[in-house]
Amino acid sequence: MSDLVQIENLHVAFRNDDGGYNDAVRGVSLTLGREKLGIVGESGSGKSLTGRALLGVLPPYARISVDTMAFDGIDLKSASPKLRRSLRGGRMGMILQDPKFSLNPVMTVGKQIVEAIRIGDRRIPGSDAKKKALGILEAVHIREPERVFSLYPHELSGGMGQRVMIGMMVVREPDLLIADEPTSALDVTVRTQVLSILDELVTRRGMGLIFISHDLNLVSKFCDRVIVMYAGRIVESIEASRLHEATHPYTRGLLSCLPQIDGSLEPLPVLNREASWAGAA
Amino acid sequence: MLAIGNLNVEFSGKLAVRDTSFAVQPGESFGLVGESGSGKSTILRTVMGLNATWNGSITVDGTDVRKTPRKQLAKVVQMVFQDPYSSLHPRYVIGQQIAEPMKINGIANPERRTAELLELIGLGAKFQFRFPHELSGGQRQRVAIARALALSPKLLLLDEPTSALDVSIQAEILNLLNRLRKELGLTFVIVSHDLAVISYMCERLMVMRNAQPVETLTREQLRSGAIVEDYTKALIAAA
Repeated sequence: MSDLVQIENLHVAFRNDDGGYNDAVRGVSLTLGREKLGIVGESGSGKSLTGRALLGVLPPYARISVDTMAFDGIDLKSASPKLRRSLRGGRMGMILQDPKFSLNPVMTVGKQIVEAIRIGDRRIPGSDAKKKALGILEAVHIREPERVFSLYPHELSGGMGQRVMIGMMVVREPDLLIADEPTSALDVTVRTQVLSILDELVTRRGMGLIFISHDLNLVSKFCDRVIVMYAGRIVESIEASRLHEATHPYTRGLLSCLPQIDGSLEPLPVLNREASWAGAA
Repeated sequence: MLAIGNLNVEFSGKLAVRDTSFAVQPGESFGLVGESGSGKSTILRTVMGLNATWNGSITVDGTDVRKTPRKQLAKVVQMVFQDPYSSLHPRYVIGQQIAEPMKINGIANPERRTAELLELIGLGAKFQFRFPHELSGGQRQRVAIARALALSPKLLLLDEPTSALDVSIQAEILNLLNRLRKELGLTFVIVSHDLAVISYMCERLMVMRNAQPVETLTREQLRSGAIVEDYTKALIAAA
């Protein structure tokens, strides 16, 4: 089978003050099979924009140009907004960083999940939709799904909210899930749970996962393959298990500036950015 | 420098901190670790007088915080918050924000001291006319640190000082904090959920869960694995 996602030479630019354009993503090419692909980089390196461009949810004032962008054989470059709309939710899903801002605050989480189900299948009877919603809450390891079903988002903890979001996204069983910093707002203990849920979904349902994060260690443990981005370009693409053999000075710099529990107490090495990293790769 | 005895903090009938005691020596760096809702930030906020309903004892540098007027307390202890995007006033230039505590306390020559502070935290005096939105997250956190240092406090309370920042910027801020502690002889209490950061920054740490302390460890105990409680072991395994 061919790749699930193919992107070639993606550029995303935003207008700056003097009327010109600043490239935020510059020539990103990647392919994704049914695997876990990690994208790491600092704020502003273009990792989230890449995910959003693929989903087609960039603001209209962003200038996008791409040679090829395909999802499961569908050419996204020439696809109509209507077709792309029909892909979102059903076949491509996205999990955002902060559940506080991504759930509807005046609707119980159960209703929100039911709504997601009904958008996909308008003829499903209410009782079945509710059963399905309760099932998905259980699948994302929420204890007492019946009780949580009728809670409002502000009554949930961060970890629970994030799991509800994941449930809402995977209830339609998308083929591709883009997770944009899904665990950054969570505690380490909850993070492990959320990751194991995502892992289970990828393995069992054969989803493709794009995992956007700035946490190198996390990505190297969790993903199959890692792409490192800097200033809108891919500087390195490496097997996750071999991340610690990375050769690019930027990747090495990111790895070495992390404190370790049993690391040295000398001042941490700081990243010295070199102009050449942002140049032609 | 800081002594907390049998502290209870209550929010609408629910205890957010239960029967917690610890002491921090002058010059020491003490870490508080635990999951969200375990009460670690609440302790810092209570020390600063930001919570009204508490009982127990809190003494900072030998004086009872209940009996110390706020202005005087502010000269001894200052706090740096997690999110540099919301802890700075969006419409004040940063020089003004750093000078504000000095003006309130009638300290002479706030302008010169502001410039000195900006040099100290590695931004340079030319930054004083910038607005917060013109700075990156790491630069804003430096400004928040400079403002906290304006009154030359002895004790700095740091609530997740780097968790909103990129790892590369985190290293810069941690190095800055360590340098300042050495140069100015400060005492730190650092709240973090990242054990690696705490292990790097703190000589001693207390693990909290469900509003209560689980155990207190030295850095050596943490590193050598001389840990008693299962919860701490789970935290380390997850890190």
